[in-house]
Amino acid sequence: MRWTSRIRFLFLMPAVLWVLAFTVFPLGYSLYLSFVKIDQTTSVTRVKEPVLDEAGQPVLKSDGTPRTRNVVIKDQTNVTTFVGWNNFARMRSDPQLHEAIRVSLVFVFVAVPLELVLGFLLAVLFNRKLFGRPFFRTVMILPIFATPIAVAYSFFTIFYEEGGPLGWTGVPWLSDPGWALFSVILVDIWQWTPFCFLVFLAALQGVPDELIEAARIDGAGALDLLWRILLPVLQPTIVIVLLLRLAEALKLFDIPFAMTGGGPGVATQPYSLFAFRTGLRFFDLGYASAMAFVLLIVVSIVVTLFFRRLRQTYG
Amino acid sequence: MADPAETRAGGREPFTYALASLAAVLVAMIFFFPIYWSLSTSLRNPMDTFTVVGLGIPWIHFEPTLANWIEQAFTPETRQALANSTIIAGLASLLALALGTPAAYALARFRYRLVSGRDITIWFLSQRILPPVAVVIPFYLMMRAVGLLDTHLALILVNATFVLPFVVVIVRQTFLDLPVELEEQAMVDGCGHVSAFWRIALPLAAPSIAATGLIIFAFTWNEFIFALTIASKEAITVPVHMAGAIDTRGVQFWFMAVRAMIAMIPPVLIALIAQRYIVRGLTLGAVKG
Repeated sequence: MRWTSRIRFLFLMPAVLWVLAFTVFPLGYSLYLSFVKIDQTTSVTRVKEPVLDEAGQPVLKSDGTPRTRNVVIKDQTNVTTFVGWNNFARMRSDPQLHEAIRVSLVFVFVAVPLELVLGFLLAVLFNRKLFGRPFFRTVMILPIFATPIAVAYSFFTIFYEEGGPLGWTGVPWLSDPGWALFSVILVDIWQWTPFCFLVFLAALQGVPDELIEAARIDGAGALDLLWRILLPVLQPTIVIVLLLRLAEALKLFDIPFAMTGGGPGVATQPYSLFAFRTGLRFFDLGYASAMAFVLLIVVSIVVTLFFRRLRQTYG
Repeated sequence: MADPAETRAGGREPFTYALASLAAVLVAMIFFFPIYWSLSTSLRNPMDTFTVVGLGIPWIHFEPTLANWIEQAFTPETRQALANSTIIAGLASLLALALGTPAAYALARFRYRLVSGRDITIWFLSQRILPPVAVVIPFYLMMRAVGLLDTHLALILVNATFVLPFVVVIVRQTFLDLPVELEEQAMVDGCGHVSAFWRIALPLAAPSIAATGLIIFAFTWNEFIFALTIASKEAITVPVHMAGAIDTRGVQFWFMAVRAMIAMIPPVLIALIAQRYIVRGLTLGAVKG
């Protein structure tokens, strides 16, 4: 069956090669970058060039000398020096980075659990006949698909302290470091609770009614039902939602970028935003690559922790 | 105490039904509010932006105007951004589908000796979990080296890369859910593997593949970090165009609101069209919605 085995590879290989070329290769390149320091210098030279007409002949000025124009030649040179573990050592003593890690951890340990719990409660609460139920479901889909940058600007208007719809509270939504972090978390909750809700609702609808009836007949209260039946039955779904949310929480970038710019100060600057700025705003490419690589290791650890569940669910 | 099944279905408990419905309406209003507020802001005169009272309901709290919309609609940059986003998201999605569908079929139907199909699937899946910031710097340098900065092509390549794993995992699940017997029968009747895929499996999976295409179109439409890095003028996408709303002329809330609405409409419409597939899509096939 030589023909079949060729087909097997022809079907699979383009995608595999694509990922190797556009993900694995950049990751390797990133690893290399994290051990170097790149100094960019731009040399500017100005030369006078004769102006040519359409026939390629030099254009002459009234006194007979050729007309010239100034041409600026910018030449960018990168000087790459190998610095060993320096970039990684810098990470240990960078207070801005530590602040960014703290912000990201707040999202992982505060926002994500809140979204899961809220989404779960809403799902349990609304897993019944409701007035206008399709409409309700539809509304809950919107936050998940609304462009994050647009969401950030909408909330920027809402949190505007002078005259915004929440202005009457007198809360410094975006100007106080603590409140700003709270506001970004609120937006995250707004955006992602519906995701948890919809997934849990779908999973709940897969729970057979007989199971719940039987438990009720055996005298289980609401809490028993939740704790003994629903949570164990939904456990695989909960684990997957948790993993997907953790992954997204580590990617957090758009909302703080557009809504607070990471500020005030660095109060709402998560890891991704700090790494991005270090690399592509301040062009400290080596250092930023080191940060990116540490993030990659963290993500790999998370995936490994979930690996058995992933294999069961997707394998 | 009503019969448990009845209570759950809300059948004989009008009170519970009413209470739950009321709660649902409240929750829906909270989640809809930010989008509503942008819409309301976009319909106001600039000077009404922050003077409006109450819930800012058009005709009741202010006199609505389409002036901001019209002005934005005739701004060349906005049109350019819309055209760019459509081209980039459309072509990137098609590319990802073209690469991903055969791979998904292969992983669903064939066995591999060296590495199991399962592990290849998990490998694709882990690409989906990868934070973009981890590869944005090498990507930027690569694109600069080949002179593709600020081009549609660069953004098409990047976006296709980031949604490809999604396609592979989801579409593989679709093929797994199809009965293999149909293809086997076709092969007994003399079809090759390729035509069994092309004539039998692909048409059966088409609705799900189309829904996947819509969802990844929305993802690429919303993508920001790579567009911000790679586009500077020619290839600016809608989200990057939005982000420029603050920098250039101070905060112009009224235009920002219009741009926010313009940005949100396509992905939100898509989400509504592909509703049935959303839960399955967002959990990469783990939960059937």
